[in-house]
Amino acid sequence: MPDRADARTETDATEDAAAGASAGGAGETRTAVRVQGLWKRFGDQVAVAGIDLELPAGKFVGLVGPNGAGKTTTLSMVTGLLRPDMGRIEVAGHDVWTDPVEVKSRIGVLPEGLRLFERLSGRELLAYNGRLRGLPGDEVDKRATQLLDVLDLAGSQHKLVVDYSTGMRKKIGLAAALLHNPEVLFLDEPFEGVDPVSAQTIRGVLERYTRSGATVVFSSHVMELVESLCDWVAVMAAGRIKARGTLAEVRGDAPSLQSAFLELVGAGGRDAGDSLDWLGGSR
Amino acid sequence: MSVLDAPVASAAPAAPTTGLTPIFVRLKLTLLRNGLRQSSGRRAVFIVSLVFTLLLAAGQVLGLVLLRGNADAGTVVVLLTGVVALGWAVLPLFFPSGDDTLDPTRLAMLPLRPEPLIRALLVSSMIGIGPLFTLCLVVGSAIALAHGAAGVVFAGLAVPLTMLLCVALSRAVATANVRLLNSRKGRDLAVLSGLVIAVGIQFVNFGAQRLGRAGGLSTLEPAGDVVRWLPGASAVASVDAASDGAYGTAVAQLLVTVTALAALMWLWQRTLVRLMTAPDGSTLAAAEPTREKASGRGGLAALLPEGRTATVMQRSLRYVARDPKTKAAWVTALAVGAIVPLLNAVQGTGSVYFACFAAGMLGMQMYNQFGQDTSAFWMVALTISSPRDAYVELRARAYVLLLLTLPFTLLVCAVTAALIGDWRSLPGALGLSFALLGSMLATGAVASALFPYSIPQEGAFKNVVPGQGGLAWISILGGMVAAGLLAAPVIVPTVWMHVTDRHDALWLMVPGGLVYGTLVGWAGLRIAARRTAARLPEILAAVSKG
Repeated sequence: MPDRADARTETDATEDAAAGASAGGAGETRTAVRVQGLWKRFGDQVAVAGIDLELPAGKFVGLVGPNGAGKTTTLSMVTGLLRPDMGRIEVAGHDVWTDPVEVKSRIGVLPEGLRLFERLSGRELLAYNGRLRGLPGDEVDKRATQLLDVLDLAGSQHKLVVDYSTGMRKKIGLAAALLHNPEVLFLDEPFEGVDPVSAQTIRGVLERYTRSGATVVFSSHVMELVESLCDWVAVMAAGRIKARGTLAEVRGDAPSLQSAFLELVGAGGRDAGDSLDWLGGSR
Repeated sequence: MSVLDAPVASAAPAAPTTGLTPIFVRLKLTLLRNGLRQSSGRRAVFIVSLVFTLLLAAGQVLGLVLLRGNADAGTVVVLLTGVVALGWAVLPLFFPSGDDTLDPTRLAMLPLRPEPLIRALLVSSMIGIGPLFTLCLVVGSAIALAHGAAGVVFAGLAVPLTMLLCVALSRAVATANVRLLNSRKGRDLAVLSGLVIAVGIQFVNFGAQRLGRAGGLSTLEPAGDVVRWLPGASAVASVDAASDGAYGTAVAQLLVTVTALAALMWLWQRTLVRLMTAPDGSTLAAAEPTREKASGRGGLAALLPEGRTATVMQRSLRYVARDPKTKAAWVTALAVGAIVPLLNAVQGTGSVYFACFAAGMLGMQMYNQFGQDTSAFWMVALTISSPRDAYVELRARAYVLLLLTLPFTLLVCAVTAALIGDWRSLPGALGLSFALLGSMLATGAVASALFPYSIPQEGAFKNVVPGQGGLAWISILGGMVAAGLLAAPVIVPTVWMHVTDRHDALWLMVPGGLVYGTLVGWAGLRIAARRTAARLPEILAAVSKG
């Protein structure tokens, strides 16, 4: 699949993004995130092997890939939580590592596998996070009340986060990430372990947020979800970008994103063959 | 009596009529054996602890037998039994998952009647190293006290009664708290157990020192006289009374134990029945009404100007109150920091300068600030974009420390001086405390930035994750040596004033120590802030391993 694999140039990608943007009626093309030559090694293992990527602004961007593809590592480096070995990252036109003041005020992050301040109640966590970001107290409290309502957490706002369920944690994490109205929102596996009702709530909030022109970048390995949510997709495997572009471009001729994805990561057509021929045979 | 009703008539050709007790005893033995079979390491641990316990028990028995005839034997034995009974009551709270056969939730699906179940559980609880140790101790106590036929008769009754009481006490406490122990609050409690032990050791240490001095064992007598009538020890006390010919007292003391045992059994059965028939705890927790509380800023933070300082301080103070690890560290520091100078002063061995120990202990809380955040440090890291942000963050944490430490240090210094009656040295101790506190804040902040490490959230006795032990040592040990050196400009003149007998100039050390401590602390925070801002990803990685 040469036309959507590594060989694609950044200009192509930008043009695609432009096409997608005008089709969506969002106006001129902007780049939310620009990544150049990003590398990260842990000991002998290469987690991210030279990524070049431009994510269009105002889109719902999906970063998809199998477990261990380097999605979390990439998102951690893009958000300034992990130092890359090499490479350059710009968010909203500002370098993440040389201009943290500009970048950190513009991004919201929901990491995967990191704790929250769990001995605070949901409301206290939002109050803490908003004030730490320098918002005025009254404004923080007003926004927190609205977010807690919309995310269906109002009933549990005074419970400690340590007693929250997985879905509730994701929702309070999302609320904390949205509180300062960031330009770009990075969500690592926001739907992992989340029940369908909470997932629908999260989805509603994110859709409303992107309609305002903001960018959401989220990682997932659930293709159906990505297919139904995203305008733009980047497929990662083994630390590299295998394909990028609008959903239609990445899907190509394949019947679904799932089958296109399996083909891209080299898992398509993998069959058990004859090795399990006894399974389901005569007993 | 059949207690295991067969679910389907045909499935049980002969319902077990032998009773539940042998089944539970066999189950307990099987679990013990299978546990040992699982790994050789576990077997080794079991054998070592068995040998150790037996040696200890043998030593105890020997000691108790040697005590026979001693005038204070009664008091010592009674107190010892009381402590053991107390241990049985408290232990299940700290080590909840000790025994599978005793977990009522595992039995909830079986059709069991309460009375035989209680009996079977009671008997099977008697199997194990702990009960064996207790048995040795109680038998030794009886031997130490029993004189004459009446004494022996009462001993024959007291030994099994005390054993039963200990076990029933432990089970009743565990069952009553099983819902708590299986919840987050229970796990928090288990983390706090380290604190009880740390503080307890201090008291035992000083208690032993005190006993070793003039007065000896007879100082224990008033306590012994009270404990004689408490259920855990009253049966053993009855042996003493009977041997002395006070049969009325002996019978009354025995009755106390019997009554307590009956009450405990009744309580245990009641909670067990309720536990096994009532809805599961998780359902109840979900239905629990949530606390209604005012939002956002309350208490102290309302007094402070808005901004990072107040926000960080409020969060840190909430963690001191709510996070079991942080709370345990703080309470241990406060308790040990007060106990060491005050108890020394009470015994007349101390000096006012021992009060600096309080400042030192509390200053240690500044170390590994970000490790205390766990991986939630990412929320902090995302809001630090300059050394200025890092400085304000660290300064706010130092303020919290000072808010708790300064009044505490003043109090400990003053009380120590009052106890010793050496008011002349108080200014010196205060000045030294301020300088030490400032130095600890400075080195603690720098160590937090340069040598962060993860603090495991579970377990009372693990404060460093495997692989970071060296880091923690460098951080704390190096930091303390550095803090001592940093405080030298105040230590040296203080010592000099004492040596040259210029006590009237010691008051100079109060403003001197205060100014010096503030300067050193400020400089340390400045240095630490720059390093923190530059090392955010590295700090996050280091504190996320727990």
